[in-house]
Amino acid sequence: MKRNAFLLTTMFAAAFAAPAYAQPKPIPIIGLMELSGTGATAGTNFDNGVKLAVKEINAGGGILGRKIEYTSMDTQSNPGVAKALAQKAVDLGAYVVMGPVFSGSFIVSMAETKRAEIPNFTGGEAANITQQGNPFVFRTSFTQSTAMPKLAKYIDDTVKAKSVAMIWVNNDFGKGGRDTMAKALEERGIKVAADISTDPGQVDFSGAVLKAKQSGADALFVYTNEEESARALRELKKQGYDRPIIGETTLTGQKVIELAGDAANGAVAHVGLTADAPQPAIKAFDQKFQSEYKYRSDHNGMKGYSGMYVVKAITEKIGKVDSKAFATAMHGARISAKDAPGVLLDVSFDQNGDLDRESFLVKVENGKQVVTAILPPVSAK
Amino acid sequence: MNRTRTFGLVAALIAFAVLPNFLKSYGVYLMTLFCVYLMAIFGLNLTVGYAGQMSLGQAAFLGIGAYQAAIFLKLGWPIFIVLPVAGIVCFIVGLILGFPALRVQHHYLAFATLGFNILVYLVMRNEEKVTGGTFGIPGIPRPSLFGYSLDGALPFFYFTFLSVVVLALFLWWLLRSPWGRAFAALRDNPMRATSLGINITAYTLLAFAIGAACAGVGGVYYAALVQFIEPAPFHFSASLTMLLAVIVGGSGRFFGPVLGTIIVVLLPEWLRFMQNWYLAVFGFAVVALMIWLPGGLLSIPERLRWKGAAK
Repeated sequence: MKRNAFLLTTMFAAAFAAPAYAQPKPIPIIGLMELSGTGATAGTNFDNGVKLAVKEINAGGGILGRKIEYTSMDTQSNPGVAKALAQKAVDLGAYVVMGPVFSGSFIVSMAETKRAEIPNFTGGEAANITQQGNPFVFRTSFTQSTAMPKLAKYIDDTVKAKSVAMIWVNNDFGKGGRDTMAKALEERGIKVAADISTDPGQVDFSGAVLKAKQSGADALFVYTNEEESARALRELKKQGYDRPIIGETTLTGQKVIELAGDAANGAVAHVGLTADAPQPAIKAFDQKFQSEYKYRSDHNGMKGYSGMYVVKAITEKIGKVDSKAFATAMHGARISAKDAPGVLLDVSFDQNGDLDRESFLVKVENGKQVVTAILPPVSAK
Repeated sequence: MNRTRTFGLVAALIAFAVLPNFLKSYGVYLMTLFCVYLMAIFGLNLTVGYAGQMSLGQAAFLGIGAYQAAIFLKLGWPIFIVLPVAGIVCFIVGLILGFPALRVQHHYLAFATLGFNILVYLVMRNEEKVTGGTFGIPGIPRPSLFGYSLDGALPFFYFTFLSVVVLALFLWWLLRSPWGRAFAALRDNPMRATSLGINITAYTLLAFAIGAACAGVGGVYYAALVQFIEPAPFHFSASLTMLLAVIVGGSGRFFGPVLGTIIVVLLPEWLRFMQNWYLAVFGFAVVALMIWLPGGLLSIPERLRWKGAAK
């Protein structure tokens, strides 16, 4: 009897206490990130960007009064693991899934999130991701098919090069970029004088640089992942390469500049996002990121950060936490940086989930990215 | 095998078969992945543990099987044709590679198979027309069995699970046949084996090719499971991981690959709660295991008995 009384009391207490302490349930958001393996630089930065945004959003009261519960999981840069984790994210009832950053892993994960109708943001730039009619896929950066024509125009109009040597990394990222660039150059009648493939994780670039030099091309296009870009730049300096060195996003990334040191000076690149951009929102982001992580963010950190704020802006717009409604609202959405500073730059999404916004031409001078030109969004033309 | 062990084995199999019903899709996927790797690692145990050779090319055979499966399944071939084709092709490639390579042994053979693995990797990456290059082959369909679709996670798990059991039974039979006894004889003492009239080259070659065929069959399940393949999972580092599984489990012991695959495929996933440290902890665990238990996990009972006897 005594025990029953105790039980009753407890039950009563629980029944009354529960509503009093009930807090809105947090919104689960899962990150599938390359925290180890060949994609670790990109994945860690992307993850840190998302985490910073989540911290800020939660400090400001969350989204629609609900806190975000962000969990990131390591894909080891391996599509097989990425697929497993995408299923785990679905099992955990994610509202939105962020990542993976690498295109190959993303193609696997997006099949899982599509089945569960969960929006999935990627940092990947390979063009084919958004060409498969998956309504739950959204980018946080340009695709190669947007970026390369902008860069080819620069090579044609400003550098006035008639021939270009290309050093690229033979993975889905590098090969995709190389193919798009070769096409963009061909359309402008610029010759590819040397087509030099390198391995992911390659250490020795002496052969590649030598071939580029011997090709006698007017300019060099380097399209590799971060660490390889730094090694290539060091080798170019060592061999005294004196023609313009041009890249896309990775070549002048913050991490590359740190690793390559002096050798990075003079390199030019088109970047979708850079912490050196003059916009006040980006300057504010740069400072916050540095004080949080004690290093400067590269474009991947900005992708993660702005992507998370896109999630916030759209969720507030639809007024409910509903994955399907979110995906519908994303198509054709426009978010202005004035209303939502976290998105960093005015951004719009098309029907495929590709995004459009301003981009920058930067040059590395004295170990810093300097913005030399701001290129308008493609749709503004 | 005594009665307790048979009972334990049957209980473990039943538990393994029932468990996925209580798991969500992530758990089922991992258990299926475990079965897939187990096929390849059973095969490698035959080469390494029973025939006593070092092979660093198992991932290449897994890849050859996976790419064949990807191409043929996309062409709409039934699984009953894809499976034997993959197994036979890998068996033949194993023979062709093994014939010259097995003139050398142990670490020389390791280097020869390593070279083969790199070669296969380069072909996968560069022959874009056939293999899709670095973009890989997406959208591989799950097969169906007698008109019954294996598209769901559970049906595909049971298909893979039954296949691995059948493969294990086949290997069990093989190792108890005169051939299997010959494998062990030439591992333990090649000279004595020769004096007994065993053709060392032929038997080593046979073990190597059967090991390769197991990986090829495993590759078919890999492609159908992930539904996307690219060269990276068949890099030679994956061969190293599989060799690690054989050695950690207990090389040359029939159930060694089971424990080894648990360590290599499932342990990193269980350690995920350690966040940034999980791969480091995994690495330390393997180092510690190799120092204290060079014979692998299945040598623990012997070690205990030996210690007991010493007292």
